[in-house]
Amino acid sequence: MKFPLTINGAEDLVEILAPAPACRFRLGDGPERAADVRTPEPGVYSILLEGQSYDAWVEETPAGLVVVIDGYRFEIQVLDPRRWSRKSGGAGGEGTQSVIAPMPGKVVRVLVAPGDAVEPGQGLVVVEAMKMQNELRAGRAARVRTVSTTEGATVAAGEVLVTLE
Amino acid sequence: MFRKVLIANRGEIAVRIIRTLREMGIASVAVYSEADRTSLHVRMADEAVAVGPPPSSESYLRTDRILAAALDRGADAIHPGYGFLSENADFAAACQDAGLVFIGPSPDSIRKMGSKTAARQTAIAGGTPVVPGTEHSVTLEEARAFTASHGYPILLKAVAGGGGKGMRRVDRDADLESAFRNASSEARNSFRNAELYVERYIERPRHIEIQLLGDRQGHMIHLGERECSLQRRHQKVIEECPSPLLAVHPEMREAMGAAAIGAARAAGYYNAGTVEFLVDPERRFYFLEMNTRLQVEHPVTELVTGLDLVRLQIEIAAGAPLPLTQPEVSWRGAAIEARIYAEDPYNDFLPYPGTLTRLDRPMGPGIRLDGCVYDGWTVPMEYDPLLAKLAVWGATREQAIQRMIRALREYDVGGIRTNIGFFRQILEDEELRAGRLHTGFIEEFFARHQPPRPPADLAAVAALAASLHAASRASRAGTNGPSGGCDPAPARPSAWLNSGRNELLR
Repeated sequence: MKFPLTINGAEDLVEILAPAPACRFRLGDGPERAADVRTPEPGVYSILLEGQSYDAWVEETPAGLVVVIDGYRFEIQVLDPRRWSRKSGGAGGEGTQSVIAPMPGKVVRVLVAPGDAVEPGQGLVVVEAMKMQNELRAGRAARVRTVSTTEGATVAAGEVLVTLE
Repeated sequence: MFRKVLIANRGEIAVRIIRTLREMGIASVAVYSEADRTSLHVRMADEAVAVGPPPSSESYLRTDRILAAALDRGADAIHPGYGFLSENADFAAACQDAGLVFIGPSPDSIRKMGSKTAARQTAIAGGTPVVPGTEHSVTLEEARAFTASHGYPILLKAVAGGGGKGMRRVDRDADLESAFRNASSEARNSFRNAELYVERYIERPRHIEIQLLGDRQGHMIHLGERECSLQRRHQKVIEECPSPLLAVHPEMREAMGAAAIGAARAAGYYNAGTVEFLVDPERRFYFLEMNTRLQVEHPVTELVTGLDLVRLQIEIAAGAPLPLTQPEVSWRGAAIEARIYAEDPYNDFLPYPGTLTRLDRPMGPGIRLDGCVYDGWTVPMEYDPLLAKLAVWGATREQAIQRMIRALREYDVGGIRTNIGFFRQILEDEELRAGRLHTGFIEEFFARHQPPRPPADLAAVAALAASLHAASRASRAGTNGPSGGCDPAPARPSAWLNSGRNELLR
């Protein structure tokens, strides 16, 4: 089974050749590797890879999976193989761009409406938590496609607030 | 001794105080806002009283409700912790008027150290060195005369000022006249008072503070220093004892201890308190302010002296004399503390409230953890996002740092983001290891720092874990999607996490 994914923004591919616990897998064009995989706690993967022991802590967030190993943090989006396409644009690229809430909080101001043209750096939405305000800005010149929040709304981290095209 | 004590605080410090009360056989009364009903201090206390809605101005700062709770529950004394009402002289006086013992200094001492100018006058009266400056407003000529005797750089400050308005650093005589004019007009516009005074500007200072302890019989001792130079946005993030500077210059501990006692005596001080100093690169030290309460970072001092400062505070408040003299105070090894916050180091350290979905705490030799978190707890949005203070003890500073890094590697808080990873990076910094600290250290660290690259296989292991997790999630969902994962091992669903967060966002 093949899992196309992005790891900290870079595209990669994991192929699972045999399931856990006696797992065999391949990363990208690399060699086939064997790993002993157990799940001692929910969301915790104990992985023995070529004699090295790793404890991988997996957390589901609205923006994808976060995997922490030995203090190092990896943001991973596992893409559905059936819907995977390379057409989706990244930040700064063409196509639709989603502006997401970087932290849970309350929307105190919505500065744009659908159809507005925005300049790079222009403020879109202001989110507040613990008395600190954070203004979310446009990364590039674009047109506002949708605004999916309102002033006074509470939002979760990773929630899409505005889309630009 | 008291039979029952009310804690006018919340979070980790309330938990810290309850622990000592329990060891002393004294009953504890917690107070809580509506946002804190399930917080750990309420769960741990013997009794608990609701004091109002989530905003602290309507709960933890409501003197009337807190005093009523103490009287209603039959408490003998009130411990204010730090923050909230701890340095409020009127509250300390109101406790006395209500027949309750305030576990802290007298209202008069709090007032004498309350404002910057009052504290400066008190320190001068106690013979404690202050940053050289003029005591009153000056003319341009008087400012120039000050630089003739003290040199540059200087700081022009508005007499009525605050928040950096009407403040100018001046490095040379050619700039003085225009800087004076600009600062003066800015002060007039901001405060309707154009008056300025002058202070010598201390470059790259260290922040080193002295812990004091005095009884009501007039004895006072110091418990040595804490180096708190590692700060971000004027907030301490790492504290240690001994200071790497004083470890090399041990005579400074005695000199600073004596100076701190001088300032505190001038305020008629008793109970625990801390005198903060700036130390310049020539190792001259200057009184900054006095904190008339228990400090956040007090565990560092407890680890090296072996004393329980909260117990001593309670005993002093109950009228007991100090149980030890200055020569009986000894310092053993090194201790370091890291303040673990719910904040996102990958996003400019913005606060990150939310629900904890997993909690693995460091354990083993030399670890002390003062926290208020548990698995499933929701960090409220209304208060300071301090989750825990991780303190370690080691035989030497180097061993303490190694131990702290080891402890941070064991520490996992899931569901929210924390600054745990940031601490590990800064503790591996060579300048920090060399002890070359100053209050601008963290800004400079970020400017020169390259985030470490993870070992090669870590990304592969992370990708494998994520793929297996996605596979097990898909098979759990009952779709005919990818399979080949391992046994069902759900991380807690994000929907639950979100609803927990949203409940608190009002």
